Amino acid sequence: MNRHESLVARQFGPRAAAYVESEVHARGADLDEAVERLRGESQARVLDLGCGGGHVSFNLAPLVREVVAYDLSSEMLAAVAQAASGRGLENIATRQGSAEVLPFEDASFEFVVSRYSAHHWHGFGQALGEAYRVLRPGGTALFMDAVSPGATLPDTFLQAIELLRDPSHIRDYSVGEWTHGLEAAGFTIRGVTKRRVRLDFKSWVARMNTPPLHAEAIRSLQAQMPEDVVRHFEIEPDGSFTIDTATIEAGS
Amino acid sequence: MTDKDPKQTEPETSRIDPRLLEILVCPLTKTTLEYDAKQQELISRAAKLAYPIRDGIPIMLPEEARPLED
Repeated sequence: MNRHESLVARQFGPRAAAYVESEVHARGADLDEAVERLRGESQARVLDLGCGGGHVSFNLAPLVREVVAYDLSSEMLAAVAQAASGRGLENIATRQGSAEVLPFEDASFEFVVSRYSAHHWHGFGQALGEAYRVLRPGGTALFMDAVSPGATLPDTFLQAIELLRDPSHIRDYSVGEWTHGLEAAGFTIRGVTKRRVRLDFKSWVARMNTPPLHAEAIRSLQAQMPEDVVRHFEIEPDGSFTIDTATIEAGS
Repeated sequence: MTDKDPKQTEPETSRIDPRLLEILVCPLTKTTLEYDAKQQELISRAAKLAYPIRDGIPIMLPEEARPLED
């Protein structure tokens, strides 16, 4: 692992159980949409790229032939393997590695699904290129993540807050950055669904074990946000706020 | 419990699905791997690396791999 990857693994390793249990991660309209999208694909092999707590894998495994749950963190994968076996999901295989260099043959998967992972990748373009490579021609990629609103001012506040919460944060890309990156990797954009997700401040920082100093700095930054940025993120008195997310469907 | 579920008594390593090993390649060279069931390693001749399998999870990180001697 390079230094960034070690940081990601260190951040997430001890937090594995929190992510398997997390409501924000276990549920969501984006997850429901992915389930609907995969319904009827009983012969598909799916790559869950940056599987984290494994919620994409758990939800899709009953619908498809097999799911490969892939992540940088061995602790996260161990938690996923244990939860999968506890739920009787026997068609989930776990593999450890980084998003930027995938250990899969070309055209191995009918679907690549990636949720709340891309903001940790140090090589966004490289990882998208690898996702494209392992998809079979005519395959489908579903990328779901927190996204930047795009405008520079709220973007800067968003990335700063994310970094304070989690030093392994790289970037919440804007939908524009996503579509450019995907097209550069060879994908054709099929559709974008934008959503908003409310984050409860206390559980949001607890999940990542954010040091109190950083949590305080986030509150301090929030207090100094310009009015339109406060409105955009719907900052609440206790620090809870609402971010933009997107599901981007792309074809290979 | 006296009756043990045979699945639970299988060693972790037997959970490696051969069909899914087929699609696995060396992340560096993208070439095929040899499965050493005894050592629980996936060997990349091209990269001269042996990737470990721990608790049934192949670790496809070059930094975690064992360099092979010639």
